[in-house]
Amino acid sequence: MHSTTTRIKFFCIGATCILVILSIYSLFVGKYPLSPEALLAGDSLQWRVFLTLRLSRALAGVVGGFALGVTGFVYQTVFRNPLASPDIIGVASGASVGAAAGILLFGSSLAITACSFGGALFAVLLALGLSSIDRSGRKSTIVLAGIAVHALAQTLLMCLKLLADPERELASIEYWIMGSLNGIRGDSLLINLILCLICVILLFFLHRQIILLSAEEGEAKMLGVSVGRLRLFILLAATLSLTCIISLTGLISFVGLLAPHAARLLTKDNRPHTMYLSGILGGILLCGADLFARSAAATELPVSIFTSLLGAPFLLYLLFSKRRSV
Amino acid sequence: MKKLVSLLLITTVLLGSAACGSSKQTTDPTPTAIPTAAPTNAPSSDDSSNPNAEVTPVVTPELIPAVTFPVTVTDQAGRTVTIKSMPEKLVSSYYISTSTLIALGLTDKLVGIEAKANKRPIYVQSIPKMLELPAIGTVKELDLEACVALAPDLVILPLKQKNNAAMLEQLGVTVLFVNPESGDLLEEMIRLLATATGTTSEGSELLAYINAQREYLISTLAGVQRPTVYMAGNSDFLSTAGNAMYQSDLIALAGGKNVADAITDTYWSTVSYEQILAWNPEVILLAADASYSIDDVLNDKMLADCTAVKEKRVYQMPSKAEAWDTPIPGSILGAVWFAGILHSEQISRERSSSLINEFYQTYYAFNYNAD
Repeated sequence: MHSTTTRIKFFCIGATCILVILSIYSLFVGKYPLSPEALLAGDSLQWRVFLTLRLSRALAGVVGGFALGVTGFVYQTVFRNPLASPDIIGVASGASVGAAAGILLFGSSLAITACSFGGALFAVLLALGLSSIDRSGRKSTIVLAGIAVHALAQTLLMCLKLLADPERELASIEYWIMGSLNGIRGDSLLINLILCLICVILLFFLHRQIILLSAEEGEAKMLGVSVGRLRLFILLAATLSLTCIISLTGLISFVGLLAPHAARLLTKDNRPHTMYLSGILGGILLCGADLFARSAAATELPVSIFTSLLGAPFLLYLLFSKRRSV
Repeated sequence: MKKLVSLLLITTVLLGSAACGSSKQTTDPTPTAIPTAAPTNAPSSDDSSNPNAEVTPVVTPELIPAVTFPVTVTDQAGRTVTIKSMPEKLVSSYYISTSTLIALGLTDKLVGIEAKANKRPIYVQSIPKMLELPAIGTVKELDLEACVALAPDLVILPLKQKNNAAMLEQLGVTVLFVNPESGDLLEEMIRLLATATGTTSEGSELLAYINAQREYLISTLAGVQRPTVYMAGNSDFLSTAGNAMYQSDLIALAGGKNVADAITDTYWSTVSYEQILAWNPEVILLAADASYSIDDVLNDKMLADCTAVKEKRVYQMPSKAEAWDTPIPGSILGAVWFAGILHSEQISRERSSSLINEFYQTYYAFNYNAD
């Protein structure tokens, strides 16, 4: 027991150190030649690039990856479904519709972020509202409502794409859906990150309740938990934190799915430190993928390509090494 | 422990690869030079000391040989197509080929054109009856039934529609695919369409006009200092044209130097604010159909340190008649207009305005300068 606790602490501290090193390193990787010497010498342009572009991007990578990992853990635990993702209740589709509408109607990046946020929030509230019609509080009702909202959002997205000019708006919509930390702006970043962090902290305070929700509904009720209401509240907090991130970055695939699985394979349990490790691994994956996205080619590449490319082999390695050890 | 080692290993790979990428980018990539050739008016000798003195080659077009039908041509998909008789009913689902057919004097023969024609100012201004023609599809989607229903003698489609070739041939429709993605391919397309439609003299005249303007720009701008230019795309300010794109040729012809010359993609490429600041262009040119405005760029805090923004040298390619930054016959006017912006001492605004009006009067029968 003692060795297990030490091992888990070791993983958590080790992964945190890796994330810290990676995020500091990411501050000095990019197309603009920043140098510590010039920064220390007080070069004003170097400082502006550092603060407005590099730091914003690194922060978005760390906080965004952490939030994606934690919310992935929450979704998978609450739904007791290893494949549960934000789209299980339509949030990613809602964000995409909002972003597409923002691109078509307004065009500015702030408007796109705001519309995407609104779209995701509306989709979640609609899914949760629809599920509340069924007073039995069954989990499957939320999933079914989510599938309906997802389908509706996809239809709307198709209509918006049809209206879009192929040379202008359609290209923007497609690129937004692929996800990127490029072009993240300090002015919209701060509010989103603060709101996201508040929701993530709230989720950590509720970690016991989240674990309880993974038990059979009857058991949870016997333990005095108001299952339906609690589930709605936790999902709302998780979705809100996720919405804060994807409204800025576009859809980022695989992080929310992979990070919790990798964390569970390392800790072999479902306790709060696993939730923390999910977040840290999510941060490492997104920061690492973004380093490639910004430096692998002369142009910017969508970050989702690298989250999948880096994450899939790691997950497979953990799976196979676990099998061998069984 | 093994798992921690694997975590560290992956991070090491991440750091290593990113570092490689970083060093590659920070070593000031030397842009690939555009092809050069000895121009008619050789640049002054001091050009050898100016690394920016790039000259677009002068290509004197040969006259397009007169044809008698049946005529066999090779289209830009590499297909050999025989056109049995002078086509009387033409269909074009690509605004670039439609614009070329108009410039060749074939407006009356057009029976079907691309969708969303009402978004093309040149149709509204020059030939409003074009708006009444049936739409047969877009660059990406072709309405096969609508196309066949028009019983056309010749259908012009973009290369992206090549997968429809077999189906249209089975339906007895003669099709030509065009792909005017560079200055040379545009000239090749004009030759192809002029030959296939029996308008070789009109085609030769059009090519001679375009070439005369090219020669004028090259000789006038020989030896000038070329300002660095960032070309921002239609969909997003952070998308730009690399040196394989038509827009890069246009910048070079106008006496500028595309900062994104090192990018070799054939479509708009996404870059970062950091990259733009590292390039620090002297001039920013927005695509004609940009979904954002010059003010958006000037007020963008992320670009406040860029020389072009500080000096307010941000311009947008005009789109009053057509988008001159696309490979259409009128795109030579885009180079003339932009040369007037970059080198106003060599090319006066009056001169470029007169050239533009002359072109549209001659080939599209309307007064460009009229409101």
